[in-house]
Amino acid sequence: MSKKECIAMLLAGGQGSRLGVLTKDVAKPAVSFGGKYRIIDFALSNCANSGIDTVGVLTQYRPYLLHSYLGTGGAWNLDESDGGVSILPPYATQTGGAWYAGTADAVTQNIGFIEQNDPEYVLILSGDQLYSMDYQAMLENHKRHEADLTVAVMPVPWEEASRFGIITQDEDERIVKFTEKPNKPDSNLASMGIYIFNAKLLVDTLNADAVDNTSEHDFGNDIIPKLLADGKRLYTYEYNGFWRDVGTISSYHETSMDLLGANPDFDLFDVKAPIMSNASTRPPAYVGANGSIDDCLVGNGCRIYGKAVHSILSTDSFVGERAIVEDSVLLPGASVKAGAHVVRAILGENSIVEEDVVLGSVDQTRDTAVIGNDVVVGKGEE
Amino acid sequence: MEKLTGLITANYSTKYPSVLSESRPVASMPYLGRYRVIDFALSNMVNCGIRTVGLIMPYNYRSLIDHVGSGRDWDLNRKKGGLFILPGSAFGTSRTGSRFLLRDLEHNKVFLERSKSDLVVISSASFVYNMDYSEVVDAHRKSGADVTVITKTATKKDVDVTGFNVDGTRVKGVKHGVVFGDTAFIDCFVVGREFLLQMLEWYKATDYLDLFEAMAGDYGRVNVQSYDYKGYVAAIFNKDAYFESNMDLLDPQTTEELFPKGRTIRTKAHDNAPAKFETGSRVTNSRVSGSCRIYGSVSNSILGRSVIVESGATVNNSIVMQSCVIKAGARVENAIVDRNNVVPAGTELRGTPDALLIKEKAAE
Repeated sequence: MSKKECIAMLLAGGQGSRLGVLTKDVAKPAVSFGGKYRIIDFALSNCANSGIDTVGVLTQYRPYLLHSYLGTGGAWNLDESDGGVSILPPYATQTGGAWYAGTADAVTQNIGFIEQNDPEYVLILSGDQLYSMDYQAMLENHKRHEADLTVAVMPVPWEEASRFGIITQDEDERIVKFTEKPNKPDSNLASMGIYIFNAKLLVDTLNADAVDNTSEHDFGNDIIPKLLADGKRLYTYEYNGFWRDVGTISSYHETSMDLLGANPDFDLFDVKAPIMSNASTRPPAYVGANGSIDDCLVGNGCRIYGKAVHSILSTDSFVGERAIVEDSVLLPGASVKAGAHVVRAILGENSIVEEDVVLGSVDQTRDTAVIGNDVVVGKGEE
Repeated sequence: MEKLTGLITANYSTKYPSVLSESRPVASMPYLGRYRVIDFALSNMVNCGIRTVGLIMPYNYRSLIDHVGSGRDWDLNRKKGGLFILPGSAFGTSRTGSRFLLRDLEHNKVFLERSKSDLVVISSASFVYNMDYSEVVDAHRKSGADVTVITKTATKKDVDVTGFNVDGTRVKGVKHGVVFGDTAFIDCFVVGREFLLQMLEWYKATDYLDLFEAMAGDYGRVNVQSYDYKGYVAAIFNKDAYFESNMDLLDPQTTEELFPKGRTIRTKAHDNAPAKFETGSRVTNSRVSGSCRIYGSVSNSILGRSVIVESGATVNNSIVMQSCVIKAGARVENAIVDRNNVVPAGTELRGTPDALLIKEKAAE
């Protein structure tokens, strides 16, 4: 196996419990997003578009759909005989096995994967974030600073800074302070949970962390503060584009709506860095004689006979005659039958809203309505 | 042991010169926005479990190779079996009723000799339908026929479709062209591998003929059975048939027959965004492919991938292929607009329903 300069470890084991019924059967990275994608497509496409051809995907929770979706990695141009996508679930050894206890622990348990590839650098990523980033530029930055660790950061509104891991840096972009969710932030640079480590330092640090009983084995809580205290060279890489962690139903809904409008914040049509996906092959969308669509993303296989406004209609979704869909997200295969009215709702994969059912509310103060995968909502059940 | 081997004869160009076919063989004609005609033959084979497919290439094979690649999108990039790209004879054929040119089969005898299958499914790449071939394979085995041809009762006159004279299901003769009610050949048949090799020996001297023409005197001794297919079939031999069959897919029932869940028509995968219907767009009775951006009006039409219809532009009763841009206020009607065309603002591309306007492929 040839030596790799940089490999990626993609953390995709998260349950995403705050996404409620959307993650009842699937891991968060496998949740459908943006009409034809799954959340993990964004990180994998970034890898492929950045020329990183060896990606370990650390899975744990509800892995079946995620594993079959990843396949050989060919959908992201990552089916390399020397590298490519490797699925890394928790496994047992002679001394037993354990679930991944934290982000750092997940990587610790797969130090063997790092050693097998023997890279100079390891890129640590989350499989549940939406953004488009050139990791190669971040790596160049890392090398230029002769850093031990580079943390990708982005400026966030001051009033929200206390929700993030906040980084204070000097004028040379060197990190002087890292605080998880500070009450009184002295910076508005938030860690994006994207790291480039010098591989040897990462392995040594993780090995030490593994036997530290006081550690929660988390990159943000334990590893970064430790390296900072040890006087290592920690630098930032500032990112200023679209970035979202769709952690909750309302942020999922909001971020989906951000893809719409005349000039959306996130451009799915960017041909320089395309978002790749392992999409099913379905015929082009059909709009019926009475169909009407205003400001929507529409996937292949859709059949639209009614009206859809400011919504995302994913692959194979259906909107019947006289039905109205507004400010909503229909996940793949979701059906809104004739005469139904769906407002500010997320309909799970293959869910059905029966004829004439009214679902959701235009009232912005009320929660987004969510229907789980395969759920049928009949008259009187709304 | 793999019981079936597939063979697709794509060495065929339509005999009706048209700017659509100048740059490509029928097999790689774009179809319904995102497909190519060959997708149907390939998918039908793969969907019934065939994992070894020979593809006899046309001389102008660039677009076809570009499309099929290693066969990955059809699961035909395999350690064992998979897609075999086979040479076709120079200039192939565009003659009526000749999609199974003996010369092309004869030249690729080695492919058939090396196969371990007892049966071979052979198809042209000029028809659009979605069929589970295991039905006809079962029928073939049960009947003990030498050859089983898949047929359909003709619903209209078509001079390019091969017809069979039949007695019940037994084929007695072959003819060029069909009229309403005839038993029309949909260019796919099942044959014993060894029997096929035997026939290639018999007809060696007339290798410029189509297999079924060469058999003309032998329908008495060779047991050829027809198997009637009931589903949707379209023959893509000329521009009007091409247009009509695309438009057939504006009907939900036909779409259901051609694209049922569970028998996917596979095609080369692209990384396209979903289509975007902007505020102010108006789209009715139309199909819109991935990465299209619609600001204007589209009716009774089929749009290929990445087509942009600007504000105030109208597209009616037309096929607009990949990457075309219909500029503000432009009008496209009764037309087939091939790839990469930019229709300038305020201009018109208009044919009539009886005389479609065809705009040739533009440079990228």
